[in-house]
Amino acid sequence: MPATGIDVDAFGARLRSGVPGLDVVLGGGFLSGAVYIVQGVPGTGKTILGHQVCFEHIRNGGRALYVTVLSENHARMMRNMRSLSFYDAGAVPQSLYYVSAFQTLEQDGLKGLTNLIRREIERLDASLLIFDGLTASDQMTSSNSKFKQFVHDLQSVSTVTDCSMLLLTSAEDSTVLPEQTMVEGVIELSRRVPASQSLRYVEVKKFRSSDYLDGRHALQITPAGVVVYPRIESIYGESSDEEPLAGQRVGTGVARLDELLHGGLPAATTTLLLGPSGSGKTTFGLHFLSQSSEQERGLHFGFYETPKRLLNKATSLGLDLAGLQKKGLLSVDWEPPTERVLDRLGNRLIDAVRAQSIKRLFVDGLDALRLAAPGPERLSRFVAALTNELRTLGCSSMFSLELPELFAPEIRVPLDGISIVAENLMLLRYVEYGGSLRRLLAILKVRDSAFDRNLHEFAISAGGIAIAPDFLQADALLSGIAHARRGETMQQRDANGGET
Amino acid sequence: MTKVLLVDDEVGILVILDALLSDAGYRTVLAGNGKQALELFASEQPDAVVLDWMMPILDGPATARAIRELRPQIPIVMMSGADEQALQLHYRDYSAFVRKPFRAAQALEAIRRALGDPAA
Repeated sequence: MPATGIDVDAFGARLRSGVPGLDVVLGGGFLSGAVYIVQGVPGTGKTILGHQVCFEHIRNGGRALYVTVLSENHARMMRNMRSLSFYDAGAVPQSLYYVSAFQTLEQDGLKGLTNLIRREIERLDASLLIFDGLTASDQMTSSNSKFKQFVHDLQSVSTVTDCSMLLLTSAEDSTVLPEQTMVEGVIELSRRVPASQSLRYVEVKKFRSSDYLDGRHALQITPAGVVVYPRIESIYGESSDEEPLAGQRVGTGVARLDELLHGGLPAATTTLLLGPSGSGKTTFGLHFLSQSSEQERGLHFGFYETPKRLLNKATSLGLDLAGLQKKGLLSVDWEPPTERVLDRLGNRLIDAVRAQSIKRLFVDGLDALRLAAPGPERLSRFVAALTNELRTLGCSSMFSLELPELFAPEIRVPLDGISIVAENLMLLRYVEYGGSLRRLLAILKVRDSAFDRNLHEFAISAGGIAIAPDFLQADALLSGIAHARRGETMQQRDANGGET
Repeated sequence: MTKVLLVDDEVGILVILDALLSDAGYRTVLAGNGKQALELFASEQPDAVVLDWMMPILDGPATARAIRELRPQIPIVMMSGADEQALQLHYRDYSAFVRKPFRAAQALEAIRRALGDPAA
C-alpha cells in the first residue's frame, strides 16, 4: 500500500507508471493492454512521463518501444533523459528501443505506419508502446476518417499483441476529439502561470473500467522525473465517524495551560494557535513537542526557521528538543521558503506522519500553506481534508496562524473557514499596559470540553512559558489596550497573585 | 570517388550526414532501415557503410552482420545515442562508433578514419 493510503492492488492487472502519485490518481495505474492518450502543450512533461513509464515497465521485466514521428531526434531525447535518475542507460537498446516512423508515414501513410508499429512490436516482443507524434500523424493526414481509422487500428494492434500503448500528443483541447472517444483513457497535462510561479497539472479526462481521482492534480518535473501530488481533498475528503482516542487528553507541555484546559487538549484533535508575529505561537508549539515520547512521536513541520535555529531556540527555553531528536522521538521537517506546491506539502506531511507514526504534530504556520494555495476556498477544503486525515491517524496537531495586526479592537482570522476546521482555538495577544507590552492567552474553544474562559497573562523566559493567574476584564483587553481595575496596577495585581 | 551507404530511420540525421559527406567529397546512398540498406548494398556496391543502431524492420547490428558476410573487410561505422559499452554487449564487429548527438567535424573524422582516408 502506498503512503497515500489507497490500496492500488485492489484492482485488476495494472501497468504501473513509475510516476510517484500518478498511480494513486489512476486508481492503481494504467490498465494493462489498453490504449491511452496523453495530451498537453510542449513543456508539460509528456516525453519525460512517457520515458518514466517505459523504465518502470522495464524494471518489472517488460520491453518497451518508443516510436516518434516528428519530435526531437532520439539521441537528443536520450541525452536529455540521461540526466533524470530513473534513466537506465544499460537498458537501451535491449529493453527500450527507439524507432523513427517519419519516413514510413510520409511514404506509406497511416496504413504503413500501423503496419510498422505492429511489426516492430512483434519483432522486439514489446509489451509497451510509446507513440510520440499523434498530432503530427493527424496533421499529415488529409482525411479525418483515416486518422480515426488509424487510432482504431492501433487499438486492434494493442489487442492482438497484448501491448499497452500511450499515445502522446501536443493537442490541448477542452472539447472531446473523435480519437479520444476511441481509447480507454485520456490524461491531460497542463501548465498555468497564476503569478510568477509556473504550475503544472495532470487531469484524468477519461478512464474506462476504473475509478480515478477526479480534477486537476499538481505535477512537478524534478531530477527524479515527473512527480504527481494528488489533491489532498480528493484522497482524504471522506469524513470518518471514527473518533480515535476519544476521551483521552494530551499535555501541551505547559502545566498551567493543561489545568486551564481541564486536563490538556483532547487527543487526535486539531488546535489552532492564533496570534500576531512574536506573540509566542512557535514557543507554545515547541512546548507541545517537548512532550514527544516513545508512545507519542513528534514532528515539527515548519517553513520559516531552519532546524538548527529551531532547536537552539528550544534549548534557550529550557526544552531539550535536540535530545528528543537524537533519540528518534522527534523529527524536524523544514520546507525552505521557495516556490511551494500546496499538495506537495500536504502529501509530504501526511506521508511523514504515517511513516513515522507521529502522534504530536506542530505545523508552523498555516500562512505558508495559504501562500502556496491557489485561492482561499481551496485552502479551506485542503485544511479540512488534512486535519480529517490527521484525526483518523490519531495524531494530535497544532497549527500556528499569524494574525496581521499587533493591536486591534477586533480579531479577524485571515483564512475563511479555518477556525471551523479546528476543534480547539487559542488566541495569543499583545496588550499595551503601563508603557510595556504584555502577552495574553485566551482559550476560545475546546472540543466537547469545559475550559477556563478567562484571559491569562503569560511570559516567556529561559524557563519557557509561565502563565500567570487570571488577568483583567476581557472587554478591555481584546482591544489591545489594558486598563487597571479601580486603580490597581498590573504589578500590584501580579504581587497579589492575581487575586481580586 | 568513395561511395558511402548511409542508413538511419531518422530523416534529419540522414539529411545532415548526406550534406556533410557530400561536402567532404564522398558520394552517398541513403536508406531508412536495414532492409533497404541491404537492397542498396547489392545494387550500389558502396565502399563503406554508416549504420544507425536502432532502426525498424532490420536493426544496425543485423544489417552489419549481413553486410560482413557479403564483404568481410568493408568499413562499418555504427551510430547511436545509447552508451557504447551497453551496445557492445550485443555487437562489436564494427570499425568505428559515433555517439549521437554528434558534431559535424567529429562524425566526419570518425568516418574518415574508418575509411582510411588520408584527410583524417
